[in-house]
Formats: sequence, C-alpha cells, structure tokens
Amino acid sequence: MGIMPAFSIPESVSGFFNRNFERWLSKRIPTRDEHQLNSRNIMIYPTRFGLSYLGFVVLVFFLGTNYQNNIILLFSYLLASVFISVMLHSFYNFSQLRFYSRAKQLGYADDLIYFPIKVTADKTHYDINAHFTDRTLISQSEHIAQCAQGSEEIKLTYKSSKRGKHYLGRVTVFSEYSLGLFKSKTVLDFGHYAIVYPKAKNLVAGQYQFSAQPDEPNMESYQTTNSVGTDDFSELKSFVRGESRARTAWKQLAKGQGHYSKHYQASQGQLQWLKLKDMPSNDVETQLAYLSFLIGELTATNQAFGLSLSADINNESMNIAPNVGFEHQQACLTALALYS
Amino acid sequence: MIFFNKKTSSGSVGKAKVNFCLSRKNAWLLWLCQCLNIAVIALELSTWMLAIISLSLAWQALLLHNSRDRIKTRKKEATVKHSNHLKKQQQATIVSPILLGIFALLGCLAIALTAKEVGILASMVHLLCFSYVLKAFELKARRDFYQLLLLGLFVLASSLIFRQDLLFSFITLTLLVINLSVLLQFFSSEKTFATNIKVMAVILGQSTILAVVLFLVFPRLSPFWQMPSAKSAETGLSDTVKPGDIANLSRSTKLAFRADFGQQGIPNYSQLYWRAMVLEDYDGRQWTRIKAALKNTVKQSPSNTFSVNPNDSDIVPLNYQVTVEPSFQKYLFALAPAIASNASNGIRAKSDFTFMSSKIITQAKSYQLSSYLSLPLSLVLSEHSRTVNLNYPEGSNPRLEQMALQLKHNYPDAQARAQAILSRINKQNYSYTLQPPLLINNSLDQFFFDTQAGFCVHYASAFTFIMRASGIPARLVTGYLGGEYNGSNNEDDYSEKGHLSIYQYDAHAWSEIWVKDKGWVRVDPTGAVDPERVNSGWSNELLQEQSKLNNELFSLYQMKNIAWLNSLRLQFDILDYQWTRWVIGFNSKQQYNLLKHWFGKMASWKFALIIAIALVISMVMLMLFLHLFNRSKVKKQPLSKWQLVYQKALGKLAKQGIVKPVAMTVNDFSKQVREQYPELAIVFTRLSVSYNCLSYQILSTDEQLKHIVKIQEQYRDFVQTLKKQP
Repeated sequence: MGIMPAFSIPESVSGFFNRNFERWLSKRIPTRDEHQLNSRNIMIYPTRFGLSYLGFVVLVFFLGTNYQNNIILLFSYLLASVFISVMLHSFYNFSQLRFYSRAKQLGYADDLIYFPIKVTADKTHYDINAHFTDRTLISQSEHIAQCAQGSEEIKLTYKSSKRGKHYLGRVTVFSEYSLGLFKSKTVLDFGHYAIVYPKAKNLVAGQYQFSAQPDEPNMESYQTTNSVGTDDFSELKSFVRGESRARTAWKQLAKGQGHYSKHYQASQGQLQWLKLKDMPSNDVETQLAYLSFLIGELTATNQAFGLSLSADINNESMNIAPNVGFEHQQACLTALALYS
Repeated sequence: MIFFNKKTSSGSVGKAKVNFCLSRKNAWLLWLCQCLNIAVIALELSTWMLAIISLSLAWQALLLHNSRDRIKTRKKEATVKHSNHLKKQQQATIVSPILLGIFALLGCLAIALTAKEVGILASMVHLLCFSYVLKAFELKARRDFYQLLLLGLFVLASSLIFRQDLLFSFITLTLLVINLSVLLQFFSSEKTFATNIKVMAVILGQSTILAVVLFLVFPRLSPFWQMPSAKSAETGLSDTVKPGDIANLSRSTKLAFRADFGQQGIPNYSQLYWRAMVLEDYDGRQWTRIKAALKNTVKQSPSNTFSVNPNDSDIVPLNYQVTVEPSFQKYLFALAPAIASNASNGIRAKSDFTFMSSKIITQAKSYQLSSYLSLPLSLVLSEHSRTVNLNYPEGSNPRLEQMALQLKHNYPDAQARAQAILSRINKQNYSYTLQPPLLINNSLDQFFFDTQAGFCVHYASAFTFIMRASGIPARLVTGYLGGEYNGSNNEDDYSEKGHLSIYQYDAHAWSEIWVKDKGWVRVDPTGAVDPERVNSGWSNELLQEQSKLNNELFSLYQMKNIAWLNSLRLQFDILDYQWTRWVIGFNSKQQYNLLKHWFGKMASWKFALIIAIALVISMVMLMLFLHLFNRSKVKKQPLSKWQLVYQKALGKLAKQGIVKPVAMTVNDFSKQVREQYPELAIVFTRLSVSYNCLSYQILSTDEQLKHIVKIQEQYRDFVQTLKKQP
C-alpha cells in the first residue's frame, strides 16, 4: 500500500506487515460507493516538513536554554503548541467531507478514462488532493484548492493500453492544510474498476464483409450482407494494399492525384454479425481492435449488428444478439474487453 | 491486472517537482515577510551587510516584477503551452547557481574577515541573515520554500537574543503570525491574506493555552553548552568619565532599570542616589575606576566591607527589588549602603559599596537589596585609599589649586570647606545646562572660572578636585538620581503599589568626601546650582533643552505635557515592568516557588507528575476547545426562511406519522404524501414546489421575497388543512 520501505526490510516481514495492514484497512474502510470522513477513516501523521519543524522547535529551545532567554523559550513553546493545534486544524479541515463515486467506468485503451468523485462539504475545506493509491497506475494527482460548501467533483483519470477489466484499488485522498506540517490522509475504497475496450483500429470496409450467423439458414440475408458495400458510392479513400483492384478509382490515378479506391455505402436494415474469426489478422488482439472499430462505426451509423466471439452460439456472454444503440455498443465493447 | 509503467510514472513525479512555483501573490508576500524579518534584526547587522541584504532584496523584487511582465507577454500569445510558461516564470526568479555561489562565497569571506571585529555571535547572525536572503533566489522545490520559512522564523528567534522588552516581543509575535500566514497562504491560496492572518491569529491564540502551561511547568534547564554572548553596544554609564560625558547620556530616554519597593514608602527623591561606580583615579582629564590589580589589594582589608549587625533593631532596612535592563556591562545599582538579600544571585558587593554582576548583563536581571540609608559609609579609611583619594596631577588646574589652598586656610573643617564651595557655586553666576561650552583639554579651571556652565560631571569633578587639592579625601561617584514613580499615587494609602523607573537621562555624578567619624559623606554640587534637579527631577527648561537636542517626533517633554499620552506611556511602562518581572525574569527558582505555592512542597517525582498531568490536561483542553470551535462553525450555517418553513411543515407531518427520509428528494416525498394523505396532497405539493423553486432556481431578490411570502401563505394553508384532519 502506501508504505514503501526506503530501507530494506526482509520481504517476508514487509509482506506480512502489508497483508495485515491490508486486512485491517479493509475492515476499517470497507468498499462502498459513499464515504464520510471521520476519525475512523482518517489517518493523520506529520509530514517530513512537520518533522523538520519539530527539529527546528528543539533548536530554538536549545537557543533559548543556552542563552537562558525566557522569551526565546516562550517562542519555542508557542511554536510547539502551534504544531499541536495545527494537527487538530488539519484534522477538522479534513473530516466531515463526503465522497461519492461509482465503481465502474468504461473507455478505450490509450484513452483517458475518468473516475468522477463527488465531494460534498458542509463547510469550506482547503487543499484536497486525490489520487489512486497505486502510484504505478498512469494517473495524475488531482487537486482542489478550495472546496466550498456544496458539491464539487474531482475527476481522476486513468489510462491503459491494455484491454480488460482493471481493478484500480483504493483512492488516496489527502490534505496538507493548514501549514503542511501534517498530512491528513485516507484511503477510500470505492471498488473502482475500469473496463478497457480494445483500442479501435481502422479497418477498411473492403477488407471485411459482414456475414450472417453461419448456422442461420437465411440465405437472403446472407446474400445481402455479401453484397454490402456495393450499393451506393460514398467516398474515396487511400488505397490500402490488399484491396481489390476493381475498386481503384482509375480516373484519379490517371490524373496523377494518387491511388484511391472507391467505397460504397452498405445497404441498411440487415442483420449483421461481427465475427472474431472473420477479422483479417492472425493476432487475436488485432482482431479485437478491428472489432472495436467496427462496433463504433456501426453504432455511429445506427446499424444493427450482432457480435459473435465464439463459434459456440449458445455461449451468451460471447455472442450478443443483433441490436442497435449505445447500450448495445457498450455491451459489445465490454465483451471485447473481457474476451480471453 | 494492473498495468505497470514505471518510466512514465517516475517521469510524472519528476515533473511535479520541476513545476513547483509560487503564485505571484505568494511570492510577493514571502518577499515582504523577508523584509520585515530582516528589519527586526537590522540593528544588529553592520552597515555593509545591510547594504548587501537590501541589494539582494531589491534584486529579488526586480526579478519578481519582471516575471510578471513576462507572463503578460506570454499570455498574449495564446498558443504557448502552460508548462512552457511556468518554466519561463521560474527561470525569471531563479538566478544561475554559479553566480549565486560566487556571491555567497564572497559574502561568507567578508563575514569571516570581519568576524574578529564584530564578535562571534554577530557574525553568526550575519551569516544567518545572508543565507536567509540568498535562499530566496533558489526556490526550486517546495522543500526550499519550507527551508526559507524556517530560516525566517530562526531570524525572528535570534532577534530575541538582543531585545526582550514587551514592545519588541509583541512585534516579533506579529511577525510570527505574518510568517505563518504566508505558509498558510500556500495551502489556501483562494483566501485573502487578511483572512489567513485572522486564521493564523486564531490558531496562535489557541496555542497560547498550551504554550503558557509549558512555560510555567516545563523545567528550566541549565545551558547545554557555552554560547557566544551578545556584544551589543554598551549602554549607560562608562567607567571613564570626562566632564560633559553624562550630558550625552541624558539625551537618551531609554530605560536603565526599575526598582520596586513593594509595600514600603519610597524614600524622598533627594535620597534616591543610585550608586553605580566609584571613580577614584583622576589624571587631569578624566576620572577612571582603579585598575583591578590595585583593587585586589584593597579587598584584603576586611574593614572596608559593609556588614550590618541584624541585632541593631533601631535601624529598619529598606528592602527593594531592582530589575536592570540589559546594559551589556557589569555594574549594578544600589542605594548605598546596602547588602544583597540573596548572595547566590551572581552579585558581588564591593568595598566601595557598589555592586557588580558576575556576568555581563545581556538580558533583564533582577536582585533583592536591603539598604540602610541612615548608616555611614565605612568609618575607617585605609592608608592606600587615602593616598588614592588625595591624588591629583599637580599643576593641571593651577587656579583651582590656589583656591583650594585658600579655602584650606579659611575653613579648617572639612564639611565647612565643602559648604563654602557649594555656596560659591550657588551665589555666583553658574548655570546648569545640557550643552556646556567646549573646554580645552577638559580643563576644570576653565569651567570653574570662565565658562561657569556645565552639567553634573563638571560640578562634581571640580568639587572633588578642589577637595583633593585642599587635602580632603574625595572621590567621584556616578550613577542615577531619582526615578519616575509609576503606580497608584495615594499618599494616605500605605499599601501603595508601584515602581520607580529610572531612565538613562537620570544619569548623574556626585562627590563623596571623607570626614572623620562620619565616613564617606555624599556632597552633590549639582544641588547648589540646580536644586530642582536634586529635589524633584528635571526642570522644564532642561526637558525643553533635551527635546530640542533630540529632534524626536515624540520627545519626552511633549509626552509629559500631553496628559493622556503620558498616562498611556505610564500604563505601558507598568505592563512592560510586569512583563520584565514575570516573563523575562521567570527563572527556575521562581518556577519552583510557584509550583510550591500551588501544590505545596513535595518530592521531585511528584513535580514531574504534576508537569506531565498539566501538559496532558492542557492538551485535552485544547482539543476540546477546538472541537467545540469546529462544531459551532458547522451549526452556524443559517437556514434560510423557506428552509425553516419547510422544516416546520416536515415536523408537523412527522407528528402525523409521515417521516421524510433524509435521502429522499422533495418531489418524491410530496408524491409519497399524495399517495398516503390525498387530502394534504394539493397544499403540500404547492409548498414543495415553492421550496424547490426557492432552493434551486436563480432568483432576483425581489422574486425571492415574493416567493417567500407565497411559501408562508402556503404553509398557513397547509397547517389549516392539517388541523381539519381528524
């Protein structure tokens, strides 16, 4: 967790310690959508500056004692008491805050995925910082200088280049108000996880043609889907190796404007199946990336499609019946993300 | 599951460090804070150091100013990235380390070279201030900012080595608040600096509880190691006096010491001759104390030391406490003859009835004395002492010598001879002035016969010289005369409480002649020329003269003439006295006495226990206090009118058995009411709608007022409908 031994402690000892700490922590701060800060879940300890401040106070005390100077002694006592009262102020600045966040967030690989955390305050709080406790994640620490009475939102970002379901662990929220002498900290567990979709990889329509579910004996739809991409001319795109020469826009080529190929809009309203094994690559990840792209494209053009990741049509988690819309897209992408 | 990418993460950490940058407001506040801190200790710094420091501060200010211009130009070019512009700003306030290093090296060299001249402590203070100013040029990380602030606090603490009076302590405290507020500003930059100062003052106020307890009960330790002592300019009298010297001193309105007589009546003004030094060696130009080697031989004759038989019941001693201000000298003050009540105080009584401190007085020090004003000073005069006190360089002032011989002839009795001189001074046209005409070679002849104008030292010197020349042992004594009484001035009330404040301008010089069977007799020739000075203090003419010489905005003369200002001054003096007595002078003995007074005499482990308990209790008190403080703040949020109305309505409903869960929205609840109590539906829904409208819509004040009136009507309807219900 947050404790990183600077000097080497035998691994077994530190492991034991960490495990125990983890267990204690999960009892102390269980997984919840909403947390309210109080003395149960706030940890408060002096920062390095706080410790050096204490050393400084001792130095001033020595100065006062060596000169037998009561005013300097009083000065050092005052500084020492400030240390204590700042601790309390630090605690009160931090406590009573409420945090709310949803556990699940979705997004593409290499894109920023936001984890909004709603912070509700009854009074003004200062210097609230939040970041994922696991610092190895690619994520920035977020900072609110002043959290006024009411609600505010912290958006933690997460980015990964690998698809899948990533558990992000706890969120560390801390504040060094008032004087940076103390760090009030808590490690909240919202059960955050990110579903990271495969990154969409451009696939030229010509390289792939939709197919109907093979077992379905509906020849007509098979036919139409086969003829997808031949109806209406839609656009010119740069020629990609492997495309049929029949589609080459000869006119443009002859004029010397470059090698383009013609693309045609598919006819709509057909049941289309996106199939993993039809994707033009040997690598599963690349195939998933193509699928991710196609799902996006089809949703954008509002076409119905189904997703089939496994040959076994009865496997419902792997095969999603054709549908349209945002939720369908998410379901499909989630299936891609979780494919293994 | 978790994706590792150490390279980028460490990169982002590195970036965070580079990006440290104070906001402009903070940077300027820090700069201001530095200026103030330096100003507090400026008196202890030499001129060249002050020049360097002000140069650096000006440079710093220039850099800060330039950085703003740079930002402005950057902002115009919208395309420039944010990080880039941060970098630029940083570059603007950071000077190249090589240049800074050379500068620092030169400064340290200069400090080292002058170290012998100014003393170790002063050069350490120089070094501290120098590094404090230079550190501001390299604020690269937050750590540097912290270091700079701590350095500033240390500068404040070390300024307290040199001065501890109430006013100065208050200034230091104010600066402490400002310093900490700058730090606070760093963490709550959205607040204004004024609010931050307020918050900091509150925090410090809360901390005083614990600080005071610590001060009272935390054991006073003896010094851990020897520290270089402060070598400030000596103030007050010096052990060499030329005619005209004390006149300079009398321009100073600084406090010299205070005397507290407790319940006893204060002696008459004319008896308050505070003895500081006896000057016996006259070389024709100046009076000096006898060298230490000679003194040792004097010491061996025990007859000269003063002692009182306590059985002499007819003599009532005058007990008083003297609190001296730091003079950076050793001599102390007493009304002779006196004995120190507790000898263990680092006070030495000397054979000439003066007192010396064993250490140089660098901070306020108090001691108890008992004086026997009616007793004579040493009835026996040693042979050595007689020769010393008759010695004068012959031929230095021939006219005075001649006059002395004549007087010796005319007045064989010592005291009659002295009286003759005094009456001559009184009758002839002598004047008492702060600005005596210059004397060639400090010639007493010239003063006594030609200029005939001078200050106390002139008269005392001339008088002593004449007495010596005429064969009577005489010596010059310097010290202070009188003092300002500060306290309740009820003459008939015996339990008067107050103290005498003796200022530098009360410095005085007088003579003593040795008379057989009477010992050393005090003769003050000043009384002959200016009786008011001896009997009640400075005359108005003298005060006016002083204020003219001083050129001060608020001279003492003006102060004394404006009643309320004077009373304010006296009030402050009382406060300062209490501060000096109870805070500056609070030593381990007083601490022990205080604890004994509170808890009775007991074993030391019990004391330790009491200390621990006191600390814990004060800590708990502080926590409790803060807890309540914090609570009240939360409660303080005022509910607006409509919220109150709605709450009241909810209360009525709750009595009927419909309780609104906290998490339920207003609309949902009104739906629930509609389902459960259709009779209430209309009125309550209206109320809810108005409430929502008031709470969540942005309304002008007029509209708001209208709505509030409406919601109140609706509430009345609601209550009526509710009453109709069975």
